[in-house]
Amino acid sequence: MKNYIFKITVLLVSLGFIACDDELNDLQPFTEGNPETFFNSVATFQNGVDGIYSQLVNYYSHPSNGMQGIPDILSDNVILVQTGRRSNEDYYDWRYVPNTAGAIPLYWSEAYEAVNAANLVISQIDNLADSPEKNNILGQALAARAYAHFDLARTYAQIPSQSSGAGSSPGIVYVKVEDGDTGDPFAQPARETVDSNYAEIIGDLERASQLIADDNGEGRLDRDGVFGILSRVYLYNGDYQKAIDAANQVTVPLATAAELPDVYTDVSSAGLVFELAINSATETINNNVGVLYSQSNASAVISEYAIEFDFWNSIDPNDLRRNVLQFVGNNQGNDYNAVLKFLGEAGQVNGRVDIKVLRAAEVLLNKAEAQFELGQETAALGSLDMLRDQRFTSYTGGETGQALEDAIQFNRRVELAFEGHRFFDLKRRGEAITRSNNGDIIDGSGTPPEVLTLAAGDFRFQLPIPIDEVNANPNLAQNDGY
Amino acid sequence: MLTPLLVLCINLSYGQEKTISGNVTDQNGLPLPGVNVLVVGTTNGTQTDFDGNYTISASEGDVLRFSYLGQRSVDRTVGVSDTIDVQMEEDAQALEEVVVVGYGTRSQELSTAAVSTVKTESIESFVPSTSLDNILQGQAAGVQVTAANGRPGNTAFVQIRGVGSINAQTTPLYVIDGTPIPIDSERNFNPINNLNPNDIESLSILKDAATVSKYGSRGANGVVLITTKKGRSGEARINFRSSYGFGERVPDPFDLMDASQKLELERQFADLGVNAAQSLPGAAASPERLAVLRSLDTNWEEELLRKSVIQSNSLTVSGGSEDLTYFLSLGYDKNTGIIDRIDGFERLSTRLNTTYQAKEWLNLGANISVSRSTTDLPRDRNNVQNPIRALYDYNPYEPLFLRDASGNFVFDNQGEMIFNPTSSGFPIARALLTEPEDNRNLLLVGNLSADIKLSDKFSNRFSVGLVSNRFNRTNRSIAGGVLQGFIGDANFPGEQTDNFALDFEYNVNNLFTYTDTFNELHNLTASFLLEYNENIRTDLFATSRGFPSPDIPYQEVAAEPTAAGSEEDRRILFSQGLFVDYDFDGRYIISGSIRRDGSSRFGPDNKYGYFYSGSAAWNIANENFMEGSVFNNLKLRGSYGTSGNQNIGDNEFLNLLQFNTYNGLTTAIPIGVGNPQIQWESQEIFDVGLEFGLFNNRINGVVDYFKKNSKDLLLDRPLSQTIGDEDNSILANIGEVENSGIEVSINADVVRGENFVWSVGGNVTFLDNEVKELVDGDDIINGNTILREGEEINSFYLVRYAGVNPANGEPLYLDTDGNVTNEYSDGFQVLLPGKSPNADFEGGFNTSLRFMGFGLRGDFIFKAGNYITNFQRSAGISIGNIDSNQRVEAFNYWKQPGDQDVLPSPLFANTADQGGTTRFLEKGDYIRLRTLTLDYNLPSEFLRDFGINSFRFFVTGQNLFTISEYKGDPEIGLGSAETAEPGDQGFVPGEFSLFSYPQTRSYTFGVEIGF
Repeated sequence: MKNYIFKITVLLVSLGFIACDDELNDLQPFTEGNPETFFNSVATFQNGVDGIYSQLVNYYSHPSNGMQGIPDILSDNVILVQTGRRSNEDYYDWRYVPNTAGAIPLYWSEAYEAVNAANLVISQIDNLADSPEKNNILGQALAARAYAHFDLARTYAQIPSQSSGAGSSPGIVYVKVEDGDTGDPFAQPARETVDSNYAEIIGDLERASQLIADDNGEGRLDRDGVFGILSRVYLYNGDYQKAIDAANQVTVPLATAAELPDVYTDVSSAGLVFELAINSATETINNNVGVLYSQSNASAVISEYAIEFDFWNSIDPNDLRRNVLQFVGNNQGNDYNAVLKFLGEAGQVNGRVDIKVLRAAEVLLNKAEAQFELGQETAALGSLDMLRDQRFTSYTGGETGQALEDAIQFNRRVELAFEGHRFFDLKRRGEAITRSNNGDIIDGSGTPPEVLTLAAGDFRFQLPIPIDEVNANPNLAQNDGY
Repeated sequence: MLTPLLVLCINLSYGQEKTISGNVTDQNGLPLPGVNVLVVGTTNGTQTDFDGNYTISASEGDVLRFSYLGQRSVDRTVGVSDTIDVQMEEDAQALEEVVVVGYGTRSQELSTAAVSTVKTESIESFVPSTSLDNILQGQAAGVQVTAANGRPGNTAFVQIRGVGSINAQTTPLYVIDGTPIPIDSERNFNPINNLNPNDIESLSILKDAATVSKYGSRGANGVVLITTKKGRSGEARINFRSSYGFGERVPDPFDLMDASQKLELERQFADLGVNAAQSLPGAAASPERLAVLRSLDTNWEEELLRKSVIQSNSLTVSGGSEDLTYFLSLGYDKNTGIIDRIDGFERLSTRLNTTYQAKEWLNLGANISVSRSTTDLPRDRNNVQNPIRALYDYNPYEPLFLRDASGNFVFDNQGEMIFNPTSSGFPIARALLTEPEDNRNLLLVGNLSADIKLSDKFSNRFSVGLVSNRFNRTNRSIAGGVLQGFIGDANFPGEQTDNFALDFEYNVNNLFTYTDTFNELHNLTASFLLEYNENIRTDLFATSRGFPSPDIPYQEVAAEPTAAGSEEDRRILFSQGLFVDYDFDGRYIISGSIRRDGSSRFGPDNKYGYFYSGSAAWNIANENFMEGSVFNNLKLRGSYGTSGNQNIGDNEFLNLLQFNTYNGLTTAIPIGVGNPQIQWESQEIFDVGLEFGLFNNRINGVVDYFKKNSKDLLLDRPLSQTIGDEDNSILANIGEVENSGIEVSINADVVRGENFVWSVGGNVTFLDNEVKELVDGDDIINGNTILREGEEINSFYLVRYAGVNPANGEPLYLDTDGNVTNEYSDGFQVLLPGKSPNADFEGGFNTSLRFMGFGLRGDFIFKAGNYITNFQRSAGISIGNIDSNQRVEAFNYWKQPGDQDVLPSPLFANTADQGGTTRFLEKGDYIRLRTLTLDYNLPSEFLRDFGINSFRFFVTGQNLFTISEYKGDPEIGLGSAETAEPGDQGFVPGEFSLFSYPQTRSYTFGVEIGF
């Protein structure tokens, strides 16, 4: 009997040896995919491309640091509300340093993740047979890659039109799989120049414009989107004729005055050239971009930032855009000029709406500014009036010279307010940021900003490279001044 | 043939043989079956029966010896009487002789290992705690226990011999009756807090290579072996214990402002021209309004906290027959916690341990325990959603309920008072009601074993263990509630998320053992181990919104589902091991082990690893030349060996794609760069120790020196973010840290009288650590701590504060070169040598007095040499936080030239309000009276008539006093749970304080009755 048990035991033990090793070697991940084999059809490639957009969403719609709003907080469009949480105060007061939390590390990291996702798609594109669908995939990936780089370049480096030396100043790292920039996780690339960055951005966008489809549906780039971006990038780069040409390729009509309010509650998509869409039913986490400006509940509107008193009061009463910019928010007994854009979809106050990255109105304003820069004042005025016709019950118009330039810029400020443009527009034009000394409350009383001006040419127009990057990559030089 | 004849002759010559009978009981008077009864000098012997009775033939003048494992042997000379009843006494020394080591037990005398044993039996009555890891605190040398925070049901941070890893988890491996318990501190999964401490017989902490190497790739953080109680043959013993008590927050060593003080500070700040103070009531309100505000003086601690109620009941029944033993327990614990308006922690547990001698050669065992706990988790983060932060932040002139301008209550439509949103805009008291989070855990731990005796020399033990934990969480945001107002969807009021996770792990293990003795001097044991361990975790969640009524917490009724998800993870560990022990005459002992582990966590090239150890001991007390010395035990031992740590995430060796959605469309994005080269962290441990016992063990102790080199540490090598990696780092085996130290533990019975016993005991661990190697020698900076080669692990990395400029009140700092400057820059951060959250030494000591039926025991814990950044203080005196309440200390700011030892002038908020400076770095040294217990045992003569064996009353106080210079509570594990918790990069327990759930002081009264 015992002998029998003995033998069984020995047998079981020996069998155990072999069987278990197999179990061990065959285990596969359950919920993740294999990047080497996944991309094998147009549908799976489109999953990859939609992944790139989702990475852009990560930094555009962030409820505390979204790129849809931080450039306004950095500018003269808003004022810090004392009864808010004082969020982003380091940004509002231009006190940021390389290890300041928030937008500085977020954009750097997430934009390069978008670039990485794009390069993964681009590197395997030849898994698809040549077809218009393949071209459309490649076009979207190239355009999205260019756009992420563009965001990095305008945030962390100078903009070519900003100053005479901007082009040769340090840019960002442009990562292109075609050039062998990827594959080594330990690479420590150095900064390229701003000129080289813009050349590569434009190169990718121009290539994309030849490949991409005319319409890819909501939330994706398409031919209009690429040309819209090109009109902005050319303008930043001082290529004014090209900016005009690109603008002319955009077929999306302007949102009419009647449509405009519905655009900001996502009822209408009129005039949207490129939006990053949020499915407000299922993508509820971390997508409340409007929270940057205010959090509201039934009893109060807790504004973080309100509309700057002088700015608000300089908007013509006949300007219909007043209806989409402002509402009166009350908190702790005070009324504020609260920001209405991005308050929420129709009937909502949760701040969860689609990101309006690029609208037809901007394309038209890009064109008007480029025309003005080229001395085509009549054409510029014509472009501006196309917009004003849709935005005013009545206006005088007919400006020339400086007055025309001011009108273009002021209309740009009003039209694109709180959509993430103002800081970059002042920066690329080499102007100072000047805030008025009014307080945060609706009548201009209350507490004025602690810091009123950021002088033209100040190093703080270039946000610092995040400290983690500088620590991990000694080849990447910090911006001057930090 | 001669011997029996001789015996007969002797018997004949000394007296008439007769039949002696009697009854043997234990020290409590209960019958003791199975006691050996032997006529000394003969082979004539018997055993007591089930009722403790025996009969034996002996003659007058013969000596009867009664012996039983764990009891002191008794000799009785046969006299005239035919009846000899014996009451035996427990022999404490004999009980301690066996020590639980890896994969079995070993006699203490023959052990070559550094093992600390904590007999909970001896301390459980003194240490009330709902979690067993907290019991370990201060009880064993080399074990560093830090309570995570004061939240009831939370586990503690347990480290054995220092920080053995930087990124992989540092929690020891817990093994309950042979079943390893999966712990994943990264997602707060720790079933240890679901075990009933009353079920535990002993805890063995394995510390050196001689034992931890047997656990191979999981041994590097040390191993805690938990042995649960078993029944003993004999009549059923029933024990009932019940206690009830109260807890409160350990008081702060500082004061917060009251309404008048706060309004005055606001006025002063506004007068000085501080922007943020201009619109505050202290500056802007009318005198009438100010009078109203002063009268509203609110103590927010009273409004938001309460006295917790702590309840514990346990019932055990144990006993057995000759073939079968059983131990059954039921336990109920409740601790409401100190945060008002939520339920706290509750646990029901039950256990059945049985053994059955099925055949002479086959012993079967089954241990099964089931427990269910529920707890709610208040937000533990540094923002308005944290009730602890709220009690410090809310202004004392803002009352709990909303008042109008003249101070009268305001009512809503239903006539209810309205919770005051306060200037934070977030009425936390209401949020606790409208944002409930409810966690339920159902834990099943079981172990089935079969011991097969194949022959005198060969035996085999086969066992199957399983751990299954079902986790449910319901997270609600009730319609109309505080959060819904901010982030809810107006069309779909109310939101609910339900999580479900099932952690299932099984462990099959077979140990084949050969034991032999040669020439009666050479003893050899060799065991061969096969072990297969698989862990499967599944996870589901669903979220819906739009609830018709707060009373229906089910997603079926919701207007629409918004999110759902599922996940599954598996991991496998497959191992073989060979363990050999040899001793020569109990004097010279050597042991060795080798183990091979295969793990699914590593790539094809690195799946398998080998771990080995060698150890030796010399029992000096057993040598002839020690005959007659005061030492009854003196042993020198040493060990060296390796172990590993594989507590990292799965699939780190692969490049992976993650799936999600964008605008409702499927997305596939790369989530990181895998490293196919990674393998487990390895560790080399060297240990020498001296164990001693003097004067019949009246004084005994252990001294150990150890050096532990943790190599190939899995570090996140930071990558340039231009690579686009999800977390901007790649895991690689690069680092090395060294921990070395000395552990001393001593126990002494100072007085050992019949009615009076006074004993003292204590332990201390001196610990040194150093970072030996990092990626390319580069520093790893994690916010305010840094890893740098040649320096202490996690040294503080802060800007040096140089005090206030007496001329103008401006805060001054040192730049990196040590020059005083009035500027502040994060770039001024420097490593502060020798200052880290690691203690230089820590331990515990206790003293107990027993007089007649009375007992008094105090347990102290202490820690010294560590530093803490006191962010909580920084927040409490921050100039920018003038809109929130402040510490009274905030008045002490610079007012006029010449002022010294003051806070900076409020005019310099920008440079003054910087938390990451040495201004807030404080020493964390403390001594705390962890428990003080007074108890009384009723004399048994009073009880016998009632059929009661024992009756004990006890009163216990916990955390009664603390000696510390720290401006807050120095016992810190989690600074702010949701800001930095285990698994977060750079998380260091005890690095900072920032409004986590505070530690509590409690008073408990209880009774214990034995039948």
